[in-house]
Amino acid sequence: MIELETTTPYFADKPEVLSEILSRYPKEGRRSALMPLLWEVQRSERYISEARMHEIAEIVGITATEVKGVLSFYSTYHEQPVGKYHIQICSTLSCALAGSDEMYDHLVNELGIVNGETDAEGRFSLQKAECVGSCGTAPVLLVNDTYYERVTRSRCQHLIQALRQDEMPEPWRERGGDTEGAAKARPLSQPAPAAPAEEGGEA
Amino acid sequence: MKVVVNDVELELAPGTSAIDAVFAAGDDVPYFCSQEYMSPIGACRMCLARVGSPRKDRDGNWILDEETGEPKIFWFPNLMATCTTQVSEGMVIDTESEAVKNAQNGMVEFTLINHPLDCPVCDKGGACELQDRSYEYGDGLSRFEFDKRHSEKHHELSELITLDRERCIHCKRCVRFFEEVPGDEVLDFIERSAHTFIGTMEGGLPSNFSGNIADICPVGALLDASSRFRGRNWEYDHTRSTGMDDSTGAAVIVDARTGRIERIKAALNPDVNKTWIDDGTRFGHEYAASPDRLTTPLIRRSGELKAATWPEAAAFIAERLAGLGGKDVGVAIRADATLEEGVAAQALAEKLGTGQIDHAPRPAASVIANRPATLTELATADAIFVLGDVTEEAGILDLRIKDALKGVTPPAMMAHGVPIADLRLKERMPRKRQILTVAAPYRVDLMRHAGTAITYQAAGEAAFFGALSALAEGQELSAAQVEALGTDEATAKALVTQLRDAKNAVVVLGGFALTRRDAADAARAFVKAVGAKELAVGPMANSYGLELLGVLPSHERYAYPGMLEGARALVLSHLDPAKDPDVASKLKDLELLVVHDLFLTETALLADVVLPARSVYERDGTVVNLEGRFLPVRAAPVEAGNAEDLTGVVRYLGEALGERMEGRSVRSARRVMKKRFDVDMADLPDYGALLKIKGRTAQRVAPREAQAPTGNLLVVPSMARAEYLSRNPHLNAAVGGPKLRLNPVDAAQLELLDGAEVRLRVGGIWRDAVVQVSGNVPTGLMTLPTLPEQPVGVTQADIGSLVVNQVRLEVAS
Amino acid sequence: MSDQNAGRAELVNSRHDPRYEVTMYRHVGAEGSHQLAYYQQHGGYEAARKVLTSMTPAAVVDEMKASGLRGRGGAGFPTGVKWSFMPPPDGGPRYLVCNADESEPGSFKDRYFLEDDPHQLIEGMIIAAFAMHVTYGFIYIRGEYYHGYERTVAAIQEARAAGLLGKNIMGTDFSFDITVHRGAGAYICGEETALMNSLEGLRANPRLKPPFPAAAGMYGRPTTINNVESLASAVHVINKGAAWFASMGTEDSKGTKLYQISGPVKRTGVYEMPMGATFREFIYDYAGGPTVEPKAFIPGGSSTPMFPWEDRFLDMPMDYGSLAKNGSMLGTGGVIVIPRDKCIVDALYNLVRFYAHESCGKCTPCREGVGHWLPRMYQKLLAGLGRPEDVDLLENVVGNIRGNAFCPLADACVMPVQASLKWFRDEYEYLAEHGRPKYQKSDWWQA
Repeated sequence: MIELETTTPYFADKPEVLSEILSRYPKEGRRSALMPLLWEVQRSERYISEARMHEIAEIVGITATEVKGVLSFYSTYHEQPVGKYHIQICSTLSCALAGSDEMYDHLVNELGIVNGETDAEGRFSLQKAECVGSCGTAPVLLVNDTYYERVTRSRCQHLIQALRQDEMPEPWRERGGDTEGAAKARPLSQPAPAAPAEEGGEA
Repeated sequence: MKVVVNDVELELAPGTSAIDAVFAAGDDVPYFCSQEYMSPIGACRMCLARVGSPRKDRDGNWILDEETGEPKIFWFPNLMATCTTQVSEGMVIDTESEAVKNAQNGMVEFTLINHPLDCPVCDKGGACELQDRSYEYGDGLSRFEFDKRHSEKHHELSELITLDRERCIHCKRCVRFFEEVPGDEVLDFIERSAHTFIGTMEGGLPSNFSGNIADICPVGALLDASSRFRGRNWEYDHTRSTGMDDSTGAAVIVDARTGRIERIKAALNPDVNKTWIDDGTRFGHEYAASPDRLTTPLIRRSGELKAATWPEAAAFIAERLAGLGGKDVGVAIRADATLEEGVAAQALAEKLGTGQIDHAPRPAASVIANRPATLTELATADAIFVLGDVTEEAGILDLRIKDALKGVTPPAMMAHGVPIADLRLKERMPRKRQILTVAAPYRVDLMRHAGTAITYQAAGEAAFFGALSALAEGQELSAAQVEALGTDEATAKALVTQLRDAKNAVVVLGGFALTRRDAADAARAFVKAVGAKELAVGPMANSYGLELLGVLPSHERYAYPGMLEGARALVLSHLDPAKDPDVASKLKDLELLVVHDLFLTETALLADVVLPARSVYERDGTVVNLEGRFLPVRAAPVEAGNAEDLTGVVRYLGEALGERMEGRSVRSARRVMKKRFDVDMADLPDYGALLKIKGRTAQRVAPREAQAPTGNLLVVPSMARAEYLSRNPHLNAAVGGPKLRLNPVDAAQLELLDGAEVRLRVGGIWRDAVVQVSGNVPTGLMTLPTLPEQPVGVTQADIGSLVVNQVRLEVAS
Repeated sequence: MSDQNAGRAELVNSRHDPRYEVTMYRHVGAEGSHQLAYYQQHGGYEAARKVLTSMTPAAVVDEMKASGLRGRGGAGFPTGVKWSFMPPPDGGPRYLVCNADESEPGSFKDRYFLEDDPHQLIEGMIIAAFAMHVTYGFIYIRGEYYHGYERTVAAIQEARAAGLLGKNIMGTDFSFDITVHRGAGAYICGEETALMNSLEGLRANPRLKPPFPAAAGMYGRPTTINNVESLASAVHVINKGAAWFASMGTEDSKGTKLYQISGPVKRTGVYEMPMGATFREFIYDYAGGPTVEPKAFIPGGSSTPMFPWEDRFLDMPMDYGSLAKNGSMLGTGGVIVIPRDKCIVDALYNLVRFYAHESCGKCTPCREGVGHWLPRMYQKLLAGLGRPEDVDLLENVVGNIRGNAFCPLADACVMPVQASLKWFRDEYEYLAEHGRPKYQKSDWWQA
């Protein structure tokens, strides 16, 4: 077979990156490097192509089939390119109770794509995600690796506007509870009321 | 230990699984993911049962039931998967209660919710584990009313296996097979949850054993592509026989329908192939159903071959043979003839008064080892040295070697047969690679699994073993000897020490070690020096048996192919020497040439009489595998016209010569063997028998030695028989034709592109091949698959004769 | 009754108790709290020093046992006992894995360790590694927590540079180092054997037990897997002593724990509280109470069966035993408040869809039952096409799943379904009969 054009292997010109990743694991754990190698490619190229699967398979010493079997198991490795801004909307219960379904519908309308799609421009892609571990600040969405929390309707509009200008706003991260810091730790509250009531009581 | 299954008390060995306890008690539970020779994983959840066991208190006494005074049974809080539960003392297993029945029905229901109702069009129908278990354990009604998962329904996983993804029940037998048995991880699950499906990224299933997944798939998801839609399972005649494509004697089932062979499956032989066969055996049957098959004898009249009857052909032969005898006449049969055919050939030779009888291909050295190992001994060896490419040459050896790397001995048989769930087998077990050393003149696949791989100079086997023996005797090596090792002295020394110190060392001598006398002698001296047992891989299914029987010339000059020079009349069975034009011109001068074969070969086209032969699937008989195990061959009900095996030829010839010759029938041949060896081949059990044969002919006559071992081409073994490949379209597509492999440097020099279809003259014989450029082949050496007329070993290819018929251009996008 | 009171008089089991102090989360939220300098200024790595220079591994294990700490990842297995399962060293590698895969809906406590106090985790791992003769540690962080991953990697680099990780830690002959490994979006990786498969670079199906990880875990070697919070707790057990730890909590649930609350309450978030505090104290006194009429609450993460909003349940102490006695589990202590106007069927559909998405696909009842059938049944009901028999069918099918799957994920799905049928069957039946939910509110998104 004559190959007129070959894809340059990803790690060919990044030996330090490769050796650093491989060095993280003991010698009997070479296969463990599979996931970080996939992440490295994904973060750089926005997806993992078949050529990269073969390349990584050879590095790790397994078959390309096994690489595909592993990467396809997870929700956040992609075999098709995601957008410049990959938006994951948490859809599980606490966020649903804060309106994530509506937020998703809004984004579908705004961006013209649905779950699993990238827009024609390659700017946005959308993914309905499951619980992202920030239930206290629902509703939550991720833009690439960044968490945007307590995303109200207005914040969502602001976010999309900014992204359209290629700006990533400072993430909103008010936490609540003890995560706001020991310095703000509340003094002891009054004893609880006898019956369930709306009054929370400033503690 | 004592185990109770539904009120039946059993005594079971520790380590037994609960599912085997159930079956040992004569009861049953359903299962899909368990398979006798693979790891139990507890995935399908069909084998759930209620399990309980007694407990000991802190002082080590059984906690007693207050009422009965017996040890109290503490039932596990959930139903247990019996395949992954190990029995313990006093364990109680209940498979009859309502909870268990409900669970069984529930699991059937879950398994069926996404399974398509394909039974009317599914090849598995009638032999389907899902059908059977649903009938036995489901209540016949599903309450699922929604859309089933839809997926690809005829995905060509490879040229040999078709996958229907909707039918897959995710038992993982196929995925586990590839990792656990041949170690070729070419198939895996993709995605997860209810979206999971199986697939490959290898562009096919690059494994010599891929077809076994069609056997073990419990449903019609993985199907043998060569037999797809060829018949319903209950329409097939199933004949248990022995594979005749190599010298391992694997057990097979030949499925025929309306007189035509449609499919080969593996059969169980725990001592030989367990439940596996290689793809060459499985898919290499299509030639037998080729429309080109000779169905009637042909006699040359007025220069043309014309149809005749057997008596006419026999009379013609008898007439021409009159007055000829001794060295005027030669009889040669192929090395996959049955013992009974061997007896017939010997009877014919005796009748003709000639010692010019032989079987071919036959290596220069004996294929009978001095200290033979059994396959079980190979599978439990603690040090293994392999010379050659056993994966291609004798596939079952490859798999039994891989058993040894796991360090798990064959399971003890139970009343219900091979245990269903052997808890010693785990997914992705560590392999003891260090016990395996593989040496070959080029890089072979088994080296991937070996602790030590050695590439030595082609045709250098004698020097290679000579140097190893010298090390074994503690001698200093000369520079030439070190070079002949193909590796450094330290590695070779370590190998010698390992073999010598092992308790059960086995050396496997592939064809390369037997093809020259000096090589074989040096190899066997080494085997003796390290005190190992030996497995010698003969070229064909009955090489061992025919040598044992003594189908051998009285003198070396009467050996095949030398007999082609001096004889005036030849009877050749399944041999095609006219592929070599020089030989063909000599054959034209014969006064009588009788060819007994399946097709009109080059040689048949020159013959005076052509006799239609039976394929290996159509013969009753006996073969002896490389262990020395006598195995029964049984004829499948195939419509083969007037074809006869060699016993039939001898019967008709005998009639024409006015004599009831020995070997005129399978029964007659067996009587001869009973007299000679005191064994009745008709009584052989299915799994065969390692027989100590008396009256074995001690004399071993070598064929005329090949020329000095120089050459630019190495003829190599292949599981896909080159002589039939063009008539086995599925196998041919899968292997891509007979491969002429050469190193990229040589390919560039010769301007040969990968995939080019070429024709060239090798060792005198015209060969068609497909070029494969591969770094696994050393520079200066090409490889080409063997033919019966072109045994393994070094030879010379005439590069000047090379013609490129077709070049395949693929432009990468 | 009097016995309980006597116990409670001694044990600290309310945050109102003046003896109680926030310990694990005391740095979270402070500027620069993730940095080594800050940590060391606030007494960081003193527990590790104490362990490495003045204790034996066996003594550390004993101290953990005496503390009564139970695993904080949800299973609640006594941590000291788990550590004691590691076999005696044989010269081969041994592994400690920190399970930072936090993916249980309703749980978000481990995240802030990774982002704002990673050194506390590192210190906990040093203590645990020393106790179990481990020289190699992994932290498996869920892929989405990228910020936490960066912070943890940076903290490890700081620790190495300061001789707190690597060879001869703090000049002793104990060597230990940590690799941080990112997950990629799979809840099942929170299950310890699936986590190990994922860490080994395999598909993350759970493994058979036995063998247990202490016998054969990572790469077939002795391994212990602990939750982030469990390891962080170890720091304080060593610093302040097992007796201090055991002075908090209840008879079967010792120490201080991080509880989380989400859903419509005034102040969602993570709150550190002594074990045994009641739900009422948590939800009303500290989280400010519900902002709308509540109907039910999930006590400890979505896998734990819910309770209706009733006094007898609100007054339950938040400990392992009390939850178990009432037919649920404490899990990770992630409370989710469900408002009255949220259709229970819709809420459970949300969770069923979660488990369906996260099922690994290995075993039939989970892959087919949870993964395919249950979502369809809920969709049918919610689309108004259900009939009363469908509710019975749902109950029957989840009964066939429960207890029959390979790993607890299927149970984590069906037990909440069963609880919702137990307490709110009327909503299912209403939906089946009327073709529309009893509670129809669907606009939850704030402006």
